[in-house]
Amino acid sequence: MNGDLVSILLLTLRVATVATLLVIGPATFLGYALARWDFRGKRLLSAAIGLPLVLPPTAVGFLLLRMLAVDGPLGRETLGFDLGLLLTWKAAVLAAAVMSVPLVARTARVAFESVEPRLELMGRTLGYGRFETFFRVTLPLAGRGLLAGVILGFTRALGEFGATVTLAGNIPNSTRTLASAIFSAQQVGNHDRADLLMLIALAVGFVAILAAELLGRDRSTRGDSA
Amino acid sequence: MTSTALDVDVRLALDRFEVTVAFSASKPVTGIFGASGAGKTSLLEAVAGLRRGARGRIRLGDDVWLDSDARRFVPPERRWIGYVPQDGLLFPHLSVRANLLAGARRARRAGHNPERSLSTVAELLELARLLERDVVTLSGGERQRVSLGRALCSGARLLLLDEPLASLDLPLRRRLLPFLRRVRDELTVPMLLVSHDPIEVQALCDELIVLREGTVVARGEPRTVLRDPEVFPLAEKEGYENVLSGRPVRQLASTSVVHLGDENSGVELIVPRLATDGEVLVTLPANEILIATESPRGISARNVLAAKVTEIRSLGHLGLVTAELGEGVPPLVVEVTETTPAELGLELGQQVFLVIKATSCRLYGGSGEPRR
Repeated sequence: MNGDLVSILLLTLRVATVATLLVIGPATFLGYALARWDFRGKRLLSAAIGLPLVLPPTAVGFLLLRMLAVDGPLGRETLGFDLGLLLTWKAAVLAAAVMSVPLVARTARVAFESVEPRLELMGRTLGYGRFETFFRVTLPLAGRGLLAGVILGFTRALGEFGATVTLAGNIPNSTRTLASAIFSAQQVGNHDRADLLMLIALAVGFVAILAAELLGRDRSTRGDSA
Repeated sequence: MTSTALDVDVRLALDRFEVTVAFSASKPVTGIFGASGAGKTSLLEAVAGLRRGARGRIRLGDDVWLDSDARRFVPPERRWIGYVPQDGLLFPHLSVRANLLAGARRARRAGHNPERSLSTVAELLELARLLERDVVTLSGGERQRVSLGRALCSGARLLLLDEPLASLDLPLRRRLLPFLRRVRDELTVPMLLVSHDPIEVQALCDELIVLREGTVVARGEPRTVLRDPEVFPLAEKEGYENVLSGRPVRQLASTSVVHLGDENSGVELIVPRLATDGEVLVTLPANEILIATESPRGISARNVLAAKVTEIRSLGHLGLVTAELGEGVPPLVVEVTETTPAELGLELGQQVFLVIKATSCRLYGGSGEPRR
């Protein structure tokens, strides 16, 4: 019983962590592109990225399922091989990642937009190339916002249910995360188990939010304590 | 580094007009003077490489930064400039020290020792006590000094100063102007300074280029240029003041005596009490000086100085009389009504007396800490 709970918790954390790590790079890039570049189809891209926020998660899951189906655009017949994702923990990762992209990308966009572009130009006059300017000026100044977005994405991935269940199923010891375990326990009327799982979810969520608060603390107070 | 002359010949489309400017600057400090909205900042940004729209040619010495015919555009990071904008633009995530060293890598490539520059600059701009501070805690004047120091520590071959004092209130400007003069006198980086302040340009510039609606309307030695009928109205709007540099020689009960000009032949001016014994800048509003054809007696003004009229100009609504006090003292400009010179019967070469209240003299005297 307890081993079962531990494995559910570990799986949930693993899925959320891997999903977040997958999302950080591309979503930060998307956020930067939307904040700083003008290109054709920018609005379209922005809308597309936001879709998972407004669609029912089960719809997103079903869309991914269709794409990964044998005859879908990412299926065996199109690719010539089988990605082997469906009904595995990797499918749960994919579902969680897709669901958290909009949160990370949109927060990143706001974080980058809040960086004064003239500070970046100032960096250029001091001899920084574009990459150096990004890493020495833009990234540190957007850092807190980016971190907030990542934590937001992680918590989203932790609690993802609809898309995950649709794409990865709810298989004990394989794809059953905290969210689906609570659902299952409640469905079979095992309220003690559901209570326990709910408390675990509470603790995990609380720790994540606390971490966010600690990490995101205002850096301008640094000088006073020194 | 053979020649460091800056050659500019650019066209730049702005919202309301086009900036079309050609000049060659080879003096240590060249000023670009004009009312706000004359295109000064845009021109400076074009020189810095921060404006992609500029057409034409820009060259520093043998380095071609812009040649739009040859499709050449050197990005700002390869122009080796030190840019000091009006608002300082310090990096808020870095300490004062880290801001000052933000361009250290380039300075090292230029063969400088950034740590040594840092200590020189920290002393020159009196930043030593601030080095570990967070920049968000600095005052306006401190910010501008750090911004200037950052440019000086970056191995720049040309300093571009955009109204470095304009965002500050008057007392702060008075404290900062001497810092800029120290930088000019003790470091050898040429400067291009944008300003709409007649005091600033007289105190700092060797040459002045006057811009109006994007075109050069006058250029030359600052004092001479500012008396130009085309230019004086601009300077007057900001409050034209004569700028003189001098040395305090005596303290009186409630005033100080400042010696202007050459050791033996200069003149002495009574000014409000000074706290410093280093070089001071004295500014004197042109419209607060009186001209008398005979030496007045029983007058409250502390200074009655003999002078020789060297120029009489009519600017339409007013007249400008220029008078020489002595060897090595820049001539003073006196603003009078248009008909005054004729009514007084003033002639070139005539001896007159300039009547100046001690309290009309404003002093720009460092921060109270005298310099060698």
